[in-house]
Order: sequence, then structure tokens, then C-alpha cells
Amino acid sequence: MRARNEVKPRHPLGGRQVRWATALMASGALITAAGAAAAATTVTAAPKPQWVKVTDEGGAFNLADPKKVRFGVSGRWVQKSLAGTVACTSTFFGRDPAKGVAKQCQVYKVVAAPAPAPAPAPSPAPSGPPAVDAAVRDAVRLATQASFGNTEALAAEIRTQGASKWIASQMALATSRYTSGGNGTVHQNTSNTGFCDKPANAGPNCWRDNFSTIPLVWDFYRNAISKPDQLRQRVAFALQQIVVVSGTEADGTYGFRSYHNTLLDNAFGNYRQVLKKVALSPVMGDFLNNVNNDKSAPNENFARELLQLFAVGTCQLNTDGSLRGGACAPTYDNDMVRSYAYALTGWTYPAGGATPWGCWPKGTNCRYYGGDMVPVEARHDTVARTLMSGVSLADGHKAPAALEAVLDSLIAHPNTAPFIGKQLIQQLVSSNPSAAYVARVSAAFTSGKYASFGTGQRGDLAATVAAVLLDPEARSSTVIVNGGKLRDPVLMFTSVLRGLNGQSDGDALSWWWGEELREHVFRPPSVFSFYPPDYPVAGTALVGPSFGIHNANAALQRLNYLTYLLDWGGSAAAAGVPNAIGTKVNLTAFTADAADAGKLVDRLSVIATGQPLPTATRAEIIKAVSWWTVSTDKTNWQINRAKMAAYLVFATPSYQVQR
Amino acid sequence: MNHTTSFDARRRWLLQSGASCASALGVGSLGNLLLGARPAHAADYKALVCIFLYGGNDGLNTIVPSDAARHAQYSGVRGALAIPRDRLVALPGTEFGLHPSLAALSAAAAAGHIAPVFNVGPLYAPLTKAQYRATPSGAALKPDGLFSHSDQQVLWETATTHSQERTGWGGRASAVLGTVNPVISVGGSARFGLTTLQSPLVLPGPGSTFGAYGLQPDDLKWAPMAARKAAIDLMYAQPQDAALADAYSRMQRDAFAMSQRLGALVKVEPGKAGSIAAIDSAFASITVSGRISSGLGRQLYQVAKLIAGNATVQGDRQIFFAQAGGFDTHAGQIAGSATEGEHARRLQEVGDALAAFYTAMKNLGLGQSVTAFTQSDFGRTFKPNSSNGTDHAWGNQHLVVGGAVRGGATYGTYPQLVLGGDDDVGTESWEQHGRWIPTTSVDQYAATLLGWFGASDAQLDAALPNLRNFGTRRRLGFV
Repeated sequence: MRARNEVKPRHPLGGRQVRWATALMASGALITAAGAAAAATTVTAAPKPQWVKVTDEGGAFNLADPKKVRFGVSGRWVQKSLAGTVACTSTFFGRDPAKGVAKQCQVYKVVAAPAPAPAPAPSPAPSGPPAVDAAVRDAVRLATQASFGNTEALAAEIRTQGASKWIASQMALATSRYTSGGNGTVHQNTSNTGFCDKPANAGPNCWRDNFSTIPLVWDFYRNAISKPDQLRQRVAFALQQIVVVSGTEADGTYGFRSYHNTLLDNAFGNYRQVLKKVALSPVMGDFLNNVNNDKSAPNENFARELLQLFAVGTCQLNTDGSLRGGACAPTYDNDMVRSYAYALTGWTYPAGGATPWGCWPKGTNCRYYGGDMVPVEARHDTVARTLMSGVSLADGHKAPAALEAVLDSLIAHPNTAPFIGKQLIQQLVSSNPSAAYVARVSAAFTSGKYASFGTGQRGDLAATVAAVLLDPEARSSTVIVNGGKLRDPVLMFTSVLRGLNGQSDGDALSWWWGEELREHVFRPPSVFSFYPPDYPVAGTALVGPSFGIHNANAALQRLNYLTYLLDWGGSAAAAGVPNAIGTKVNLTAFTADAADAGKLVDRLSVIATGQPLPTATRAEIIKAVSWWTVSTDKTNWQINRAKMAAYLVFATPSYQVQR
Repeated sequence: MNHTTSFDARRRWLLQSGASCASALGVGSLGNLLLGARPAHAADYKALVCIFLYGGNDGLNTIVPSDAARHAQYSGVRGALAIPRDRLVALPGTEFGLHPSLAALSAAAAAGHIAPVFNVGPLYAPLTKAQYRATPSGAALKPDGLFSHSDQQVLWETATTHSQERTGWGGRASAVLGTVNPVISVGGSARFGLTTLQSPLVLPGPGSTFGAYGLQPDDLKWAPMAARKAAIDLMYAQPQDAALADAYSRMQRDAFAMSQRLGALVKVEPGKAGSIAAIDSAFASITVSGRISSGLGRQLYQVAKLIAGNATVQGDRQIFFAQAGGFDTHAGQIAGSATEGEHARRLQEVGDALAAFYTAMKNLGLGQSVTAFTQSDFGRTFKPNSSNGTDHAWGNQHLVVGGAVRGGATYGTYPQLVLGGDDDVGTESWEQHGRWIPTTSVDQYAATLLGWFGASDAQLDAALPNLRNFGTRRRLGFV
């Protein structure tokens, strides 16, 4: 049967199959909701149907068979019997039953019967939910947006200082660094024996420690979990998903270390400087083929992606991020890409590298990542070029001057502020910022100032980041229906660990969980990072970048990560990892509250989301937690309560999708 | 979304063909109870397998002219990148051959089961060079984001010319045809399988656990895990205060349902319990110590299993999505000789995996029921750059492989190999790189595949909105 696959209301014997089968037996003709309900009830004592919200006004959904549907708000409904695609709009329903009020659609259907309640626990009855404390909620929200995960200590710190002061203090902290891994000797090997074949270097970890990005993963996660310059690290993490290099297509640990330390150093600096260091990076030179690019017939790889991904994007934008003219008008054409490709010719590796057979092509330096690329004017095209933003190059220009002109043209371009600004919002706060929010952040980027933040220079990142985090849309206590974002796997890894007083040396979060959830730090599959900024979320009109690596498999693997940490004890320190500490959480602090299941669940909920969970979810979690008692497990009931509570709280949509 | 059409179609189908409702009732005991044992596949089972080559595969070196005159034209411009005539894998009945790295496909080629389709790309309507040059950017005739990876991937996957398009042509076709499952992807959450309401079903590779630990049926016999599952089920059934959270919850619910049905099948590996000899033997050449040695190989092994396991997967029409990456050969496309280097390595992986898959389908007696086809961001410049590579272009050469394919012929129009010529977007001296304006659209390519798959003209129009701009040329005949 070619029935459309969509979410079915749950039924003990499998909903749709029952209805199709019984209807077929009955008449094979039009299936009515009444008939379906009747058929369902004759098979078993099914739960009664009820009105269940399906979507907000503006959304759409699909019904496999006819149901009663109503559109409106409490007490004011338009009701119809519908099947197939339903648009939750006044137009579709024929009238607006509640003008000016945000409406929703509900379907009259059977919902899952809750599991039978476990035996009551002998410990005191769980306490009811405390009220939402707006100040606590906002502190946790800012911690979620601006760190690698809220902790009780961090939320307290933010509450004490207030958002603006805390951000300023974060920007003033010393920078954490990447320090692990080998050095430039990998590119100074003049013998015919491969670096890892030499007795001095041979060993199972030679490639890992000297060529791969694994040592950076160790530093990344250690720093993310425990170093105080959280915001700087978050911004650097955001920047590395815009100006992308990948360990899948270049190697030399020391080069990546240098690249990513540069992003940390410039996280609160100026975006023009970020672009300059990226353009001069020999790692980027290898990754996007601009190293030794020659004027005779330059390849277009770096030039194209510099424009498309690092600076202006493919469509002309208004300052609020919307498409200029309402449809995509190209920002540049292929001729312009080629002009930039020519302008960016004439760069080679810095001096310092060596090979057994000298350096090729003649006149260039050997591969070496110990510094910025240097000009090789013989390969630089000096022809006059017209770039964007009214910038042009006169005949006879040299490579460094051409680079400066390229950078000037990009930072001056009206696209850059909204293009970069919106992506920073998406990385930190919300996948679907309002146009007005984007416009405010663009203004900060362009003016270089936001309140007391920034130097006043166009492209100032301190001002831009402050604008992102202090904007009313980031700080408002009203939940925005189209707001929030699905936490990245990386941020889920770290925030669960941080929230539960955990630790990690990063090892298990690279080849295991990083690969499992398709976000292995420093190894995005291409220059397009782990996911696109405009990935459409089916069933909505919204985008959700992290949904680009989310699917049925990832859905369950997120839960499996929680099982791994909580039920399996995470990972022990691994022999081959320097200063290994494994990956694990520490629930000791929470077992103290285990006797009161409600208090335990609420405490974890506040850490995870800033507030207690919605009522029904909270109650069901407490039921599960309460199964563990001194009778069911004399020695371990408290720790098991903590594990159950942590698993379920971090599994909730309230946590997984930050608001 | 034309819900009336598909609902009516289901009603009509129900009225007419009660007996074969069997396949839709699923593996539940109720289904078996009512209707007894079913054949593994409906007599008319068909599957389409999209293999997306990310980065922009150089089609000009994948399918190469083998006649002396044209090969001379080709190698005159390709220079060091030109594949020698005597190294090509023959496509009998044509004057073309395949890159030697695709040698594993020679049996399929000899059997007439490979069709090359030339100069395919995103188009709004037929487009001449004069029109292209006269059309301002942003106008309908000029597809969005030409030469940009991400935009062209979207255009190929969605069969539209809008880079903001949210649904894929695989997804729309599945919806319009009312298939039991959405597009099944073994290669990630690509846009190809998206519909407005539904994501593709993305499955992990062989040997993977597709399921939630501790929440399997056996685990639920223990009370605390049953309580945990009850809390999980309830939390994901609650309406949320944010649309993204509702979407997340829905995916969680779907994930549990899907993993119940497919978890065991997904896990099967070569030589292990549940594996099928007919498939394992076909993949033996790329299996080392029980593990398939390439990413695309693992994906196509998974597709083969899912096709063989149709009784579990259900449905008589299924679209699959697989992918391989690394085709963006701006530099170092070749190394040493033209037949070695990065592109050769990438094509080898594709050829070996696709040949294994083709053989597996033959072994299962499903050769005629399964058609695989390539897609890619774009073709690459005919004229190489000075980094021993090629840059972004437009129209590309693609391959369709399967027992129903009408090989021994070529389809579409091979571009004139003239820099700055009638097929080249460029005219001025600085823009003569051989970026071909397509003469066959993605829509026509897709329509031919979907026509074989069983779509009517009305369904083709519903799934491929620009198809009507190409008049009657909607079945190109390669399958």
C-alpha cells in the first residue's frame, strides 16, 4: 500500500495498520474518522481520543486518514474534518476565529497511554516544581549561548555580574591555547625515509601526533570543558566553521595548531585581520590550492570560496540578511571570481621546509607551515583588475598590495556585515533570527561599536559578538516560537560534561562520538563545514543548520551518548593519550539531592535549561527516577536516581533544542 | 502539495486492489495474521539509486571520446590531463569509453547495461549561448548560483533553479507516488530526500547499531528501563513552545519507530548473521577481513541489503541516496600520468562499488528492477589550469547503470569541444575555458528515471516543476 509515511498517533497495535486493515475488511470504501475510532476500539480497550496540538499558525501537517481538526485558540475554534495536507492558516480554514491572536491547530486523536506508574517509593513524595526565576533562566541562557555549557558556578557568576559585565570580563581573560602535537620537522625531512618510518619517530602514534588534528581535539575539549575563556573559545569555534580548513585534506599538526590559535587570538579582534591571516595561512593555501597558484592559468578554488563562504556569499543581501530584491541576485559573476583568483596569485610557503629533492615548482619554497605565506612575485599576475566595492588594482601591482586591496574590497562590501553577522547569531543564539535582529548585529559590525564594546573600526568582532549576545532577541524572556537552535553534537558533548561536573581529554569525542554524530572537530568533510547555514527543517518554514547532520540515526545516537556517559561510566583514561583523563561525569553532587526526586530533577533541569521542565514531562521523569529506592537497590539507589534523572533531563527537547 | 490527488489515488487503489494491501501492513503480527506469507518483492518492485559525487566530478575524463578525430580534439586541449585512447574501458556500440579506473564496470558495459548521458545540468528551459549571454543575472533563464558548489548541489538535488528550494526531487517524487517510505539515504541528510513535511530516512552503515541502547524490547522487561522508555515516549509526544523543538520531537518519535523496524537489518555485515550470500559474493572484491573497504562500497552494500530485505523495508517503490566526495579537483587532479592521481582514485572507488552493487542486483534476480544513476555539482572546465587541475563548470556527463538500462547507445548531446564555441558559456579570450551550457536538463534526466519508476505525466509534472518547459522531450530513452 502506497500510504504516505508521516507521524502516526500511537496505538497499542500500531495505529494506521489497524485502521487500514479493519476498514478494508469493512468496506474498502471511504474511511471515516468515526469508523477508524470504532475499529480501533473494537480491537482493544484503547485510550480515548483527545484534542492534541499539532502545529502553530502558519505550519502545515499531513493526515493519513480523516480526522477532526480545529484552528484557533482556547474557546474560539474553526473545526473541520480533514485528511491529507492541512495548512494551519485562516485562508485554509475559511475564516479567522481570533483576529490578532497567535493561533494553533489541534487534531482529535488518541495519544499514548502513559506507562503504568511504578510502585510508590518509600522516600518522601517529590516536591512540586518551583516557580521559574527569570534571572536564573536568563543566566543559564547566556551561559548556553556563550560557553560550552552551563554549570551551576557559571550561572551564579553571570547572575552576579550581569550579562554585559560578564561578557566584558570574558573578553579580557587570557587566551587558552592549542599546545599539543608535533612540530615543523615533519616538513624538514631531507632523507629518503618517510618521517614516520624513521626509527626515532616510528610508532603507532606517529601520524596521529605529527600529521593529524587529533592532538588539537584533545586540547579543544580540555579547554572547552575547563578553561575560563569560554566565550573566546565559542567564537573561535564559530569562526572555524566559517573560515574552514579540514584535517581530511591537509596534514601537519603544527600547521593546524597555528591556524586555530590564530582564530582564538583574533576572536575579539577584527574580521579583516581574520581574513588576512586566513589568506596568508599555508594550511589554507594547501587546503584551497592557493599556494603556488600561478598567473599563467590560476585555479579558482580559494578565490571562489573566499567570496562565497568567508566574506560575501552568493546572493546580494540587505543589512537585515534578507535577499536584496526578494530573490537571489548574484553578488558576483564568474569573471569577478577569476579577477580575485588572478589578484591572489603569487604566494608560496614560508621558508623553512625541506625535501630530499629540493623545492618544486622552481622558485617556490618547500611545503612548510611555520609562518605566513610569502610572496613569489614571478608567479603574481600584475595586470590591472577591477574588484568589488569600487576597489581596483593598477597595472604593476605586487602580491602584498593586491592582497590588501582584496581584503579592503571584502570588508567594505555591504554583504559582509549581514553575511557574517547572521552566521554568528546562528552559531551562538538562534537558527532563525528575525530580520531586525540581523540588522542590529550588522550595524555593530559596520560601525565597529556596540554600547561600550568595540574600537569603532568596521569589522570589529568584539562589537559584533556583544551585539549578538546582548540583543533583546537573545535576552528576552518571552519564548520565540521560531527561535532557538538544535545544539550541535559538539556542544551537546561538552554541555552534558560540564553540567554534570565531568571531564574529558577529548579522545572519545573524536573518532567515536565525533564520527558517530558527524561532527568530528577539525575534520569537516569539506570547506562547507559540517552543515549548511540554510538547511531546511521539514515540517516547518524554518532553517536549522545542525539539522543538516541530524536524522533518525543521530536522534538515537544522542541518547546513546547519554547512556555511554551515565550507564557505562564513559571512557577510562586510554594508554596512548598523553595526560589522559578519559571522559566521564561526576554525579556525587547530585546524589545528595536524590532522596527528593522532584528536587533532584528540578536541579538538573535548571542546569540544563534554566528552569523546571514542562509539567507532564517533569512528572513522568520523576516517576522513573522514583523507581530506584532503598528497597529496589540498597547500595546504589541514590546514584541510580541521579543517572536516571540526568539521562532523562538531557534527553528532553527542552535541553536538546536551546531556546 | 496536492493532497487531494494523493488521497484520491490511495482510495482508488484501495478499492481496486485489495489483495496486495499485504505489503503495507508491515511486519506486525497483525499483518501476518490476516494475510499469511508474502513474496519477498512485489512482481513490479522498482528501486532508484542516486549516487551523488560531491565536489563536481570531471565527467569529461569519466566518459571520453574513443574515435580518433574527437579524441584528438579532446587531448589537444586537455593536454597532460588527457586519458589515452588505448586505456579506455569500452562502451560497446558507442564511440566513447570509460576512464580506466572504472574497469570494474566493464562487464556491465559489455552487457549493454551502462548508458552515458551527455551535457546534463540545471536549466530552467532550453538555453542557447546567445540567450545565456543576453539574460541578466537573477532572471529565470539563468539558474541561481552557477559555479558554486553549494548552490549547484541544491539545484541538482531539487531539480529546480532556485538555490533556496527546500525540497528534493527524490522526496517530491516519493510523496507524489505515495511510496511507503520516504527516500532512504545511506549517505547523510542531503536535500535530495526532503519534502515539506518529511526528512529522508537516514541510516548508518553495516555493523552499526541503529537503535537506542537500553531501550530495546528486551531491555524493557526490566522495570526501570520500562519507566525510562515511558518518560522518553511521553516527553517526545508533548507539544513544544518552539517549532524547532517540535521538529526535533517528531524526529525522535520517528526514529524509534524506524529503528524497531529496521535495526536488525541495518546491522548485518558481510559474513555475519543475517547476511545474504548473493550480496556478499558480489562485494567480495572490495571486502577485506569482513569489512568493505570504501565508504561508497559500504553505502551500496547497505542499499543492496535493504532491497533484498524488502519484506522488512516494505513498499514496491523505493528511492535511495548514496554519495561519495572529494571530486573538487582544482589541483593535482592527476599525478604522474593522466590515469593516476586523485581523480583516478575517486573514480576507482565509485567503479568498484557500483560494479559490486550491479552484480549483487543481478545475483538477486533484480537486475531489471534496480537502476543506479550519478549526479554531481557540475562538470569541470575543459581547459585545465596551471595547477594540473580543472575548475568549476556546468553541464556534465553522467552514467546510468542497471539491467533495465538501454546501453549500447549514448543519450543527450556531447558538447562541441571548442573553447569559446557554441556550447561554451564564454566568448571573450579570457573566458574560454570550456564550461558547457547544458543541452539536457536535470528535469529531463530525472523524468526519464521516474518514468521508468512508474510516474505518469501528471506525476512527473508535480514532482518536477520546470519539466513542462522542455516540451515533449521528457523521456530520453536511456532506461
